[in-house]
Amino acid sequence: MIFTSHIFIFYFLPFVLLVYYSLPVKRNFFLLVLSYIFYGWWDPRFVLLMFLATLVNYICGRIIAAAPVGSSKRYWAVFASVAISLSMLGFFKYFMFVQNNLNFLLQILGSKVFSIYQVTLPIGISFYIFQSLSYTVDVYRGTSPPVRTFWDFACFVALFPQLIAGPIVRYNTIADQLASRAHTLDKFTSGTALFILGFAKKLFLANMIGQAADAAFGAETLCASDAWFGVVAYAFQIYFDFSGYSDMAIGLGRMFGFEFPRNFDAPYLADSITDFWRRWHISLSRFLRDYLYIPLGGNRIGPRRTYVNLTIVMLLGGLWHGASWVFVIWGAYHGLLLAFERWRGKESLYNVLPKPFRIAITFVLVLFSWVLFRCPTLEGAVQFFKAMSGMATAEGGSVLLAGELYTQGNFLMMGLCAILAFQPVQAFDWVKNLTWARMCFLIVLFFFTLMTMSAQSFNPFLYYQF
Amino acid sequence: MPLNRPKMFFLSMSFLLIIFSVPIIQSVMELARHERPQCIDILLQPPTAANLRRFENDLERLSWFSRELQPLMRYLQFIVLKDAGEKALLGKDGWFFYKSGVRYLTEPWPPRGHSSQKYEDPLPAILRFRDDLLERGIQLLVIPAPNKSSIYPEQLTSRAKTISAPVYTHTLQVIDLLRANNVDVLDLFDLYSSQKNDFLCYLPQDTHWSPEGMRFAGTTVAEMLVSRSWITKGDSQFERKIIRLHRYGDILRMLSNPMIERLYSPEELNCTQVVQSQNGRLFAPLPDAEILVMGDSFLRIYEQDEPKSAGFTAHLAYELQQPIAAIIIDGGASTLVRQQLSRKPDLLKNKKVVIWEFVERDIRFGLEGWKVVPLPHTPAI
Repeated sequence: MIFTSHIFIFYFLPFVLLVYYSLPVKRNFFLLVLSYIFYGWWDPRFVLLMFLATLVNYICGRIIAAAPVGSSKRYWAVFASVAISLSMLGFFKYFMFVQNNLNFLLQILGSKVFSIYQVTLPIGISFYIFQSLSYTVDVYRGTSPPVRTFWDFACFVALFPQLIAGPIVRYNTIADQLASRAHTLDKFTSGTALFILGFAKKLFLANMIGQAADAAFGAETLCASDAWFGVVAYAFQIYFDFSGYSDMAIGLGRMFGFEFPRNFDAPYLADSITDFWRRWHISLSRFLRDYLYIPLGGNRIGPRRTYVNLTIVMLLGGLWHGASWVFVIWGAYHGLLLAFERWRGKESLYNVLPKPFRIAITFVLVLFSWVLFRCPTLEGAVQFFKAMSGMATAEGGSVLLAGELYTQGNFLMMGLCAILAFQPVQAFDWVKNLTWARMCFLIVLFFFTLMTMSAQSFNPFLYYQF
Repeated sequence: MPLNRPKMFFLSMSFLLIIFSVPIIQSVMELARHERPQCIDILLQPPTAANLRRFENDLERLSWFSRELQPLMRYLQFIVLKDAGEKALLGKDGWFFYKSGVRYLTEPWPPRGHSSQKYEDPLPAILRFRDDLLERGIQLLVIPAPNKSSIYPEQLTSRAKTISAPVYTHTLQVIDLLRANNVDVLDLFDLYSSQKNDFLCYLPQDTHWSPEGMRFAGTTVAEMLVSRSWITKGDSQFERKIIRLHRYGDILRMLSNPMIERLYSPEELNCTQVVQSQNGRLFAPLPDAEILVMGDSFLRIYEQDEPKSAGFTAHLAYELQQPIAAIIIDGGASTLVRQQLSRKPDLLKNKKVVIWEFVERDIRFGLEGWKVVPLPHTPAI
């Protein structure tokens, strides 16, 4: 189920709110059951997989918590948790990738290729595996207490607002809230406001501009202007899609008394790649920092090792996004840029320029990375880069792409997206000061967004697949 | 800044009111119609992925909220954004284009290696069909009907005026390939491109050819059949009568929005109906005719639609002065028409020529793809 669907808005959410606030006890258990329904809506069989991941990490957490500090039992329990969780992720997300690459190598060696075993990728697996892993690691490190009950832990892993696309909520962030949390009108209202804004970002902006991005990236050939228009459209689509989803998740969390961490902070206002990663998918950056970069040695072993660590972290971050070489290259690109800026003392090469230029150059560097992110193959990305650099031109039927890209609607949406993306007060900040005017605006916006939802058939969630 | 309670109450209650009222009103309306509330259906079927999808889709499709507000929103999007929805693109001067037709031209074909799109090469199916017909002594003429965007690209984007090369490169490749394999193909693309300044070959609001464009195609095909001596002109007595009608084009109709329709005037069509001279009856296909035409909605328009008997089949019959048999399936010219012929092989009795029309986008989007459909061996033929 997705948030921007008729069934979620008009049936699932009202039902959950009504029953949740009517229940005097066992609210976490109720949220767990409804979260499993939410997740199982896509394919009920995969609820079992999530339950298995939850059970394994819960048992490992119990063993870790019960064993004395420094004992081998703790070590083996955390090892088992990491190994089993990553094996699940590896099988469902990377098994086909490995098979394809093995076949490629076999072809080069002139051997017979084997038939590919098809594996369906369960939605949100990267998110809930990371979250459940964070629990055992935190308990192992002693930074979190063990969970009170299995049902609380299962609720944490499956909690529907942030289940599919984050923000990645670490166990120690939410442990106290699982035990006890305040349900206030203040929190509910700000949650409602944030949900409405995220809902509008997704349906009004991301979905509308996403059609232009799809047309450009789907074209056979492109000229430079089409390619630039397409990649800027995609940059806006992915930002408003993903940040809209995060806003909805945080908003829904607040409606049920939870406080999830902020996930975006005006990322296209970043004036360096280092700054960009402080603002984009913040929960993933922090997760990778705490559970990968620091265990690898972080910046403690010397400058060279720091650069290597940064590149490794971003390479794996790329692979986390998808089992494809373009994601690996996307990660490497960001890793190398981060290492380069670290070498310059966390400053970009263009640091001497005025801030608007720094922002513009960073945005262009990010656009290049979005080409890698969006193109399904390296060959496609190279073609797209050629078009962006003016080394290719629209030929044959691709000439007609202009009729699909340069429309009044796309220009209006591009302008609106640019205004909203390049200003510092994002939804998360905007809802902190709700005036009467803003309240009225939100209600009208919600109504119009619902109307848009009823009229739209194009409604992909880009981060669904991760 | 902390919020005061009335403000908080106002927003929260308004939000809840909206999300609760829609399902409640829906259920009340269903109960008032003595129907079981649709939301209960979820409890009456096993929760398989397919059942859940169906339930969700039905819930949205039958919702009063969607049905009432969707037309208004689409109208607003059309007015403000010039967005003609998922199926259409708005061109210049009131011209509409079918999005699939444009996507066929802009996107790669055959699909690139990574694509999940299924690729079915049309060549084996066409060659097999041609060979099966030849075995029976029947000639095949293939007519890929151009998309409107292939003939009038400049009505979609002014960029098209700056290029001289054709935009229908995928179809040209298919035509070249067919000709290289000795398949007879009528290339309407060149013909229309050279004639489009003399008359409107396509209707601005429609995916199909205009009455003039259709008559031009009919005349061209008739001349081709006669010049190749596949057919000699018959002695049936058909004559034409002019009928003027006003109607909205199918792309405008696809928008399913009367508010948008009202922004446009119906197109005026100068059709010519074909009637039998002896009794004034409208032309109707005859299964025993020497010529069989099969194809999609390009053959249906004016023929089975209003004003009737004024489409391609009727005009071919008029030009050749002989009866014609027909198999017409909307969107099904790639495979479905051949499957139907295979199920009714009697239609091949007495045939000298089969004319097979399919719209060029069906090379990629044809229903059921391009399956090889062997014709049954019928000794009676």
